[in-house]
Amino acid sequence: MPARPVAHTVAEIEGQLGKLWAHAALARAEAAKAESALVAAQAEAAARAAAALAAARETSDAGGSHVAARTSVLNLVVLAGDESTAERCAAVIADTAGRHASRSLILSATDPDGPAGLEARIEALASPAAGGAGAGAETIHVTARGETGRHLASIIVPLLVHDLPVALWWPADPPFGSRRAERLLPIADRLIVDGAAWSGHGLDFVVQLAAVAEERDLVVVDWALLRQGRWREALASVYDLPDLRPHLGAVRRIDVEYAAAQPGDPAGATNVVRPLYHIAWLASRLGMTVAQPVRRESDGRRVATLRQKDHAVDVVLRPASSELDAGSTVRVEIVSRLRGAELIGSVAAGDRTVEVSVREDGRERVRRSYASPRLTEVDLLALAVEEGAADPVASRALAMAHRLLAG
Amino acid sequence: MSPARTPAPPPPARTARQMREAAAAARRRSRPEMDVNPLRQGLRLERVPDPCAFVLFGATGDLAHRKVIPAIYQLWRTNLLPAEFSLVAVARRPYTSEAFAAEVRASVEKYSRVQPIDEAAWEELARRIHYQQLDFSDDAGFDRLGAKLDELDTQCGTAGNRLFYLATQPSQVTEIVRQMGRVGMDKEVRGAGWRRLIVEKPFGRDLDSARLLNHEVHKVFRESQVYRIDHYLGKETVRNLMVFRFGNGIFEPVWNRSYVDHVQITVAESIGVEARGAFYEETGASRDILQNHLLQLMTLVAMEPPSSFQADALRDQKLQVLRAIAAPDPENVRRNVVRGQYGPGWVGGEPAPGYRQEPEVDPESETETYVAGRFTIDDWRWSGVPFYLRAGKRLPKRATEIAIQFKDVPLRLFRESSADPAPNVLAMRIQPDEGIMLRFAAKVPGLGLDVRAVNMDFAYDTSFVVDSPDAYETLILDALLGDASLFTRADEVEAAWAVVTPIINAWAETSPPHFPSYSAGSWGPEAADELIERDGRRWRRI
Repeated sequence: MPARPVAHTVAEIEGQLGKLWAHAALARAEAAKAESALVAAQAEAAARAAAALAAARETSDAGGSHVAARTSVLNLVVLAGDESTAERCAAVIADTAGRHASRSLILSATDPDGPAGLEARIEALASPAAGGAGAGAETIHVTARGETGRHLASIIVPLLVHDLPVALWWPADPPFGSRRAERLLPIADRLIVDGAAWSGHGLDFVVQLAAVAEERDLVVVDWALLRQGRWREALASVYDLPDLRPHLGAVRRIDVEYAAAQPGDPAGATNVVRPLYHIAWLASRLGMTVAQPVRRESDGRRVATLRQKDHAVDVVLRPASSELDAGSTVRVEIVSRLRGAELIGSVAAGDRTVEVSVREDGRERVRRSYASPRLTEVDLLALAVEEGAADPVASRALAMAHRLLAG
Repeated sequence: MSPARTPAPPPPARTARQMREAAAAARRRSRPEMDVNPLRQGLRLERVPDPCAFVLFGATGDLAHRKVIPAIYQLWRTNLLPAEFSLVAVARRPYTSEAFAAEVRASVEKYSRVQPIDEAAWEELARRIHYQQLDFSDDAGFDRLGAKLDELDTQCGTAGNRLFYLATQPSQVTEIVRQMGRVGMDKEVRGAGWRRLIVEKPFGRDLDSARLLNHEVHKVFRESQVYRIDHYLGKETVRNLMVFRFGNGIFEPVWNRSYVDHVQITVAESIGVEARGAFYEETGASRDILQNHLLQLMTLVAMEPPSSFQADALRDQKLQVLRAIAAPDPENVRRNVVRGQYGPGWVGGEPAPGYRQEPEVDPESETETYVAGRFTIDDWRWSGVPFYLRAGKRLPKRATEIAIQFKDVPLRLFRESSADPAPNVLAMRIQPDEGIMLRFAAKVPGLGLDVRAVNMDFAYDTSFVVDSPDAYETLILDALLGDASLFTRADEVEAAWAVVTPIINAWAETSPPHFPSYSAGSWGPEAADELIERDGRRWRRI
């Protein structure tokens, strides 16, 4: 594998990028010449044309060039914090490059008290696609040292491809309220976070994230909400049968079990962002208001009371023993009562499937297993950048989560 | 003083059916919760298909095995079909349900676009497959089928909703529809679900037979129940044509006779007739491609913006275009339409036989495998703008493309340039390498003022490497959801035949053509080049 170009200033980074794409353009011209050779030879004899193409491909392959169009569709800025997170994010971006061409800046800071400076590595990624073309992407890894690490915005802005949206990805705890956030949020069109990866129970970050979403002209994408897509499909399916749909207006209880880090989650330290989002999504979709915000009980449960029309809805977030990762949702159960009939819709998920069951007055109405694999980080990043505008459902769910926590 | 009041006009007379539909719409408005699941907002589908039976006639045929059943499997695998679903396969050959399911599994393994097969999903779907042997002329057989569907409603919860898919020989359509009417399979009794019918092309052989077919179908089904499928309209890039035109403000102002010089639409195939020689002998390129795919693409390019993407709003606009195409008289056909037939040649480095040497083809056949024509649309927007359409088999490559060529600049300012800048072209590639290309002039770097054409190229697969659904998946799901916008309406079909039938008739009355007229692997007969060169233009090199 050839060594990746290294730069130590923004100007050097730009110069290296230019060289990389000039090389790609040259290779593209060679490929075009090969195509011309094919057409010319075809006129003469088709059999010879095939040979000409094969020879041209051999020549092209010998140079190691797989040409891709440079069709960036966004700037992706990753504030990785440390180098191991930066490597993990780089791997995700490399796998996503074929789906969404981008210029990615992966920034990490190290040795804060050392001499100021930066080191950058530049990669041009080309993902071959079905038609022979490929998606082109550039990744610039920047490690900032000393004082430079405190001025990342000054590195980022000159390296953005102009006129393209900027997505800011904070893979770990977002530094809301910090000077760095104040400098970086205004240049972003989209903020990508992962609530499931936040430290502690994560609920304080939810409040801060919701505030950012409300205050700024910014599309906020939380992977923790995106991960719930398969749950939402399954929960919605409970009410697809027209005769069960009226139960959506008569919900009495929502019970969410989550995998606890320790039995019973005695310290309340398990990240409960995902279970909370289930409640917030359901409440926002079903026109509920918050009567009593979330509070923690002595037995480890978190409870709240919602109101739907003229009746109360009890909410429980319940820690459970599970082999799933801590904070993962294990089961969601919705209990409704309408004209004396009780309906219990229950959804449970594993790695690859989601199980749905619906019981009406104890009688099974629906049981279905959905093949619905858990989303990978590559899927999540692709989804996070694919949506053109803010997802109103997600926005309302986040706002409801804020109200559930803040009252 | 209050203005004189004009008495309100009396409400238009409405049929009993219209009143029933209006009442149903009012019920839906008053109780929206009955129709809309609020938890579905923002999900892949905001509505899911109702519980239903999918009744597939011609279930043992090629189309069913290659396209329809793999599409059903894919929809099932991705959870886009309801749990209360059954696939009722109907054909003449004797099978048990289990044996049929085992056979179609092999087809799904071969033709499904996602491999390998998902065992759990297949098992679930296979349990919902029911085979019913039926001779289409057998009254008792249709009675049994009706009883079977009623039984499945109870057994599988399909609620009386039925989608009938006729993947049969065209000649069998009328008989099947008549039988369905006889046993009342079309009847949408209140509370007993909907009934819809999908019919495959060709919709007739000419204007008269299309009218007759529509008449026979309408004896049983209302037009709103009928979904005529032209799979081209389900292709992702064809659907994107509408997004491109009506979702981008910059193109609409130049999308007219003031700026567009001409339009070229090409549907080129590199393959021959494969194993369909007998079928192709009866159709030819004009019936197989021109009447449907080419004219449909032309309507999407030329139509006025619809007021919404509701099925009828869209189809009304397409119909206006078809009706504004000047139907050619025999002299116009002679001058403006070219037919051709391929002889032996080489395609992609392989020798290819001539059409007359293909299996099941008459060695003296006069069937055209190539058609090219110059058409005009007599309306305010397009008057005077020629649309050049061409389609053919055994051309050098497979390519479908729409190219809008814009008018030249009014004044050539760059006279010292060694080459004139070529006119701007906007090309939309439908397949393969789906994308959009804009050609414009740019200065060649250097001290002089050389101008050269450069291409700005957008390719789908460089921006979205996502899993696109097959056209049949899109269209079957739409039919299950009751969305007819990508299906062809009866009057559209007839209007398209009104354009093509005079061509076919004129050819029938002229002396036999000198076939073969082009070599396999070339871009068609010389006459096609002459047709466009006469206007001082030339076919795009694709």
